[in-house]
Amino acid sequence: MNPSSRTRCTLVCAAFIGLFSIFSFRLIYLQAIKHDEYAGLAAETHVHQQVIHAERGMILDANKEVLAHNIPVETVVADATHLSDLHATVEALNTELDVPSEEVSEKLSSGRRYIVIKREVAPARANALRQKLQDSKLRGIYFEHDATRIYPNGAMLCHVIGFTDFDHHGVQGVEASMEEYLHGQDGYRFIEQNRAGKEIVPYRGQERASRDGYQVHLTVDLGLQSIVEDEIDAAMKEYSPQKATIILMRPQTGEIMAMANRPNFDLNLRSEAKPEQMKNRAIIDMMEPGSTFKIVAAASALNERKLRLDSQLFCENGLWNYGGSALHDHRAFGYLSVRDILIKSSNIGAAKLAMSIGDQKFYEYIRRFGFGERTGIELPGEINGVIRPPQTWSKISITRIPMGHEVGVTPLQMATAMATIANSGKLVTPRIIKSVTASDGKTVSSGSPVVLRQVISPETAKQIGEALRGVVSDQGTAAAAAVPGFIIAGKTGTAQKVNPHGGYDHGKYVVSFVGYLPADHPEFVGLVVLDDAHTSKPELNYGGLVAGPIFSRVAEKAARYLDLEPHEEIRKAIPVQRVEKPKPAERLRKVPAERVALTDGSRR
Amino acid sequence: MNRSRRRNCNTVNAASLARWIVMTAFLALAGLAYVYLTLQLYHLGERRKAVENELVKLRTQNDEAAGQIAALTSRTALQRQLKQGYLKMIPVSDSKIVRLTIPARSTDEEAIQPVVNPLPQHESK
Repeated sequence: MNPSSRTRCTLVCAAFIGLFSIFSFRLIYLQAIKHDEYAGLAAETHVHQQVIHAERGMILDANKEVLAHNIPVETVVADATHLSDLHATVEALNTELDVPSEEVSEKLSSGRRYIVIKREVAPARANALRQKLQDSKLRGIYFEHDATRIYPNGAMLCHVIGFTDFDHHGVQGVEASMEEYLHGQDGYRFIEQNRAGKEIVPYRGQERASRDGYQVHLTVDLGLQSIVEDEIDAAMKEYSPQKATIILMRPQTGEIMAMANRPNFDLNLRSEAKPEQMKNRAIIDMMEPGSTFKIVAAASALNERKLRLDSQLFCENGLWNYGGSALHDHRAFGYLSVRDILIKSSNIGAAKLAMSIGDQKFYEYIRRFGFGERTGIELPGEINGVIRPPQTWSKISITRIPMGHEVGVTPLQMATAMATIANSGKLVTPRIIKSVTASDGKTVSSGSPVVLRQVISPETAKQIGEALRGVVSDQGTAAAAAVPGFIIAGKTGTAQKVNPHGGYDHGKYVVSFVGYLPADHPEFVGLVVLDDAHTSKPELNYGGLVAGPIFSRVAEKAARYLDLEPHEEIRKAIPVQRVEKPKPAERLRKVPAERVALTDGSRR
Repeated sequence: MNRSRRRNCNTVNAASLARWIVMTAFLALAGLAYVYLTLQLYHLGERRKAVENELVKLRTQNDEAAGQIAALTSRTALQRQLKQGYLKMIPVSDSKIVRLTIPARSTDEEAIQPVVNPLPQHESK
């Protein structure tokens, strides 16, 4: 080999070495130095975080009847960069999903990678579209598993259950207040897709399973709720009030057994509902309670031992000028005992009861009964009500507040106050959540009664209870609230309606009745409130005549539903005819309908 | 002559050849196994995906059925069916209902009396 050849050979080798060195450096630069950057870019293109949606928990009543659950649907989405044939895809979407071609075409032409075509598509329709896309070999359309909230009972208990928004977050009612438990926790999975958008399963990355939402059990019994809903509908038909509320509550535990308001709305058609229909009047509406508030004045006077149940107070023969203003009674009463002040609902008597303990003490008792603060029920939007401190009272406030004027309370606060009387003076927080369980039935959280304070002594509560029995008697204001077979205690209320622009609306009343049954061992407290009821004659628009009979019907049906035993004295008065018990063999042959334990001969 | 021919001929080292053949075969088999297992991995991945899809489908059907059951057995639906006559319920006849009479009244006019609402008028069959 001559020198020139050797030189050429060396040059070629050097050139190759140099070239490959450049390639090597470039390779090292790309693979090692720029690794993270390019790996990230590659991951952005191929790796996706797939969300594994958690299912929202169900809402059930006290007997595990379903109140809210989910139905699976699919969301059809598109990746405009994966589309193979825009025109054919638009055509398929238009045919299968009934979405306008122009709208879809505009969306798909945007070039975006995530376009929602249609939400809440039924699985059957989604499957049909999926099949069509596969047959036509069209790419770029994907399906996401989703769920829609369904309320099987429609409008029943609508204000308590509430509803969810577009993103499955609770907006109202228990759906909102128990969001933390109901919502669950979404999981995720990192997946890689090929060019066709199909997942490459072996390349699956990190994965976290979803946790479904917990099931929320309410204290509401749908059987009782149904009774209440029927009666409130009947009342709406009969009296056409502007608003109405009925509450049933267990006094010992504070459990809400039923709660209904009117106007209401269908939870499955919530988009059509007006804001007025969506308000839970039991907790967000303020009213002047009227005479039902007299229980506070009487209880505080008796508890302070200023007076006894039999103490006589002069009721000024129906007209009392105090503080430059006249206070009237609906009838001219002379001397009345504390008991009779409640039975006959004397305004002057109630004013004198409050005056016997003074402004400050009376105010303290009002607050101790829970007025002026939220009850703490697990429902959103509850208001405090309005109880002004004594410093802001006028001279006549002490005569007006005992009869339920100059104060604003919610229906639930009023029911809770009556529950305090029924519960030997203990104020219990009303509650609507019974328990929270996981999908496997394990209890996550369980509600227990919360006794806030002893408002009045058990003896005082017993005395007030005795007086309230008289209200539902021939001599009381609510004879029509009586329930056959049971002795009940209660109080009527008739308050002139407050005008939002000041003063009162003439001829418009908020009538109410709040009571409990059976009087000696209360099983439930019931409250009926009708705002601006229309009666055939104006003089019939009283709590005892309008709300009382509604309470009676609700309580009678509820007592039957709860299988409550009639009052012992009343039971003894009934001629009981024993039915001979057949022997087991005979019993099998007998028709079940013939088995009646108690019969009343007089009705035959 | 023979001696020089023997010197010029390459002898085949059988052991070495066998070793190479075995190594090559092993590598080839390993390669094939790798390809086969990789394909299996993809295949099983596809099957896993298919099973997952099937599971989702079954769960969806189950949820749909549960939804239908809840809708059909809801109190509102049953009451509606009762009103429309799809459900037949025979009302309890009047003679089978326990009626409570008005309790005996005290002679004292001022005494507090428990009162009883007028009994509702039932249509007796």
